[in-house]
Amino acid sequence: MKILNYTLASLLAVSLLSCKKDGKMSETGKDSVIAKKDSAVIPEIYKEYYGIYTGDFAGMEKIIDETDGSEYEGSINKRISLKINRITKDSVYGQSIVNGNQRPFRGIFNESTKSFVLDEPGNDKTDGRFEVKLSGDSITGKWNAFNKTAVKSPLKTIKLSKKDFVYNPNFMLDKDSDLVDWSNPKDFVEKYTDEETGKTESYTTSKNRVASEAIFNLNASKQKLSEKDLKNLRKIDLEIIKNSVFARHGYSFKKETYRYFFEQTDWYIPVSNNVDKELSPMEKENVALLNRFIKYAEDKYDSFGR
Amino acid sequence: MFAIKKNIPLLLKILLIFGFEYFFWLMLKITLEYIPFNPDVSFLMIKQTEVQDRPEYLSFFYTHVYTSIFVLLSGFLAILRKNFGIKNFHRNIGKVYIFLILILAAPSGIYMGFFANGGFLSKISFIILGSLWWFTTYKAYQLARQKRFKEHKQWMWRSFALTLSALTLRIWKVIIVYLFHPNPMDVYQIIAWLGWIPNILLIEYLIAKKHI
Repeated sequence: MKILNYTLASLLAVSLLSCKKDGKMSETGKDSVIAKKDSAVIPEIYKEYYGIYTGDFAGMEKIIDETDGSEYEGSINKRISLKINRITKDSVYGQSIVNGNQRPFRGIFNESTKSFVLDEPGNDKTDGRFEVKLSGDSITGKWNAFNKTAVKSPLKTIKLSKKDFVYNPNFMLDKDSDLVDWSNPKDFVEKYTDEETGKTESYTTSKNRVASEAIFNLNASKQKLSEKDLKNLRKIDLEIIKNSVFARHGYSFKKETYRYFFEQTDWYIPVSNNVDKELSPMEKENVALLNRFIKYAEDKYDSFGR
Repeated sequence: MFAIKKNIPLLLKILLIFGFEYFFWLMLKITLEYIPFNPDVSFLMIKQTEVQDRPEYLSFFYTHVYTSIFVLLSGFLAILRKNFGIKNFHRNIGKVYIFLILILAAPSGIYMGFFANGGFLSKISFIILGSLWWFTTYKAYQLARQKRFKEHKQWMWRSFALTLSALTLRIWKVIIVYLFHPNPMDVYQIIAWLGWIPNILLIEYLIAKKHI
């Protein structure tokens, strides 16, 4: 009787364990829809590590001072995402994406130290090797460019945390975001009159574009926009409203302006350099409308014409 | 010194003629943007609501665009009051100007005024402008038929001042955008009025001072 009890108990335990495992399996199964994994027959292990890890990609690079032309080492920080798509016994597959540059990688996973060595293909000058370590939900480590002379900053440190990418049409820029587009300064000449001598001098200075509050109110993923909604907006507003759609779908921007705006939010996770297929029909219509208005603003805003 | 003073009106005249020619050239380039026929180019890029909801909008729009360039040209040639060696040139080119405005350019302009960008303030301005344009031209025509040529000349100047609002409005736009960078529809509301009111005031002043 006692033996029977033991066997029952152990059977129960086994079934409970397998239940738990099943639960996990279906969970990672959901993840892999985003990860776009191909269905191979090679057994996959460590599915729990699959997913998107997003965070800082920091290094030092030479910066030339605009005022006196001197060079100095400055720190730069980009947002990078690593997608771990598949881990098998001898290989790891995934992608890295930074500033709109999406690169596949392949490498190995060391079980005992929980560390990855991941290589990008090497046929792009920005390719390199990731040597990173997993602990909990975060990945830390470094990246080395294969070609040290081809990139500005050949050694970078990596600090990422696991994030679930979800598309949500409600995501908007935070109301306390910085509205200045720092990356497109426009030079113009300003005059200055010295009050004492009465002499007028002119000097060149630069101005940055500033977005308006409209970017917090118009959501091109949720409402069908009309021409009336957009007519009184400046080009920068139109561009931000349009690119909010792409940001929600995880588009990794090549232009610094948009990276700067969307990296201020906590929901923006760059996961792809092409999200065109993900757009809803309404988003597509709105983007077409916004493109027309952006073109009009570009061609006509300050020119002789209407 | 005396010679310079005497020649000031002539110099001013030459300057105005060259100025007109330059801006006429710009207007011609804008007009050519609508050739070949393309319903979502240039200004129409932000007018698709009207283009899609109102089947007649494009007809009125193109009527206005295509005739107005000839209105500008014929008006300019007629206001010079020279026959250039061609018999009845002033009379005939004046008739072209008058009938293009009365039948085509002004009515289509008034229609477009109802759908002008910039809301109520712009709409009311363009509707008044179009109506005054038609009326001054019609009045000038009547006076010519009655052979009251002095008054004919004065009303023609009023009409042409309004015709020239096509140029002055766009010049003001460039100046205002350069200086203040307002939002696009705010510019529209300002230039809708600034385009023609100073023009007509200047002509009224010149008529009152008996220069015309």
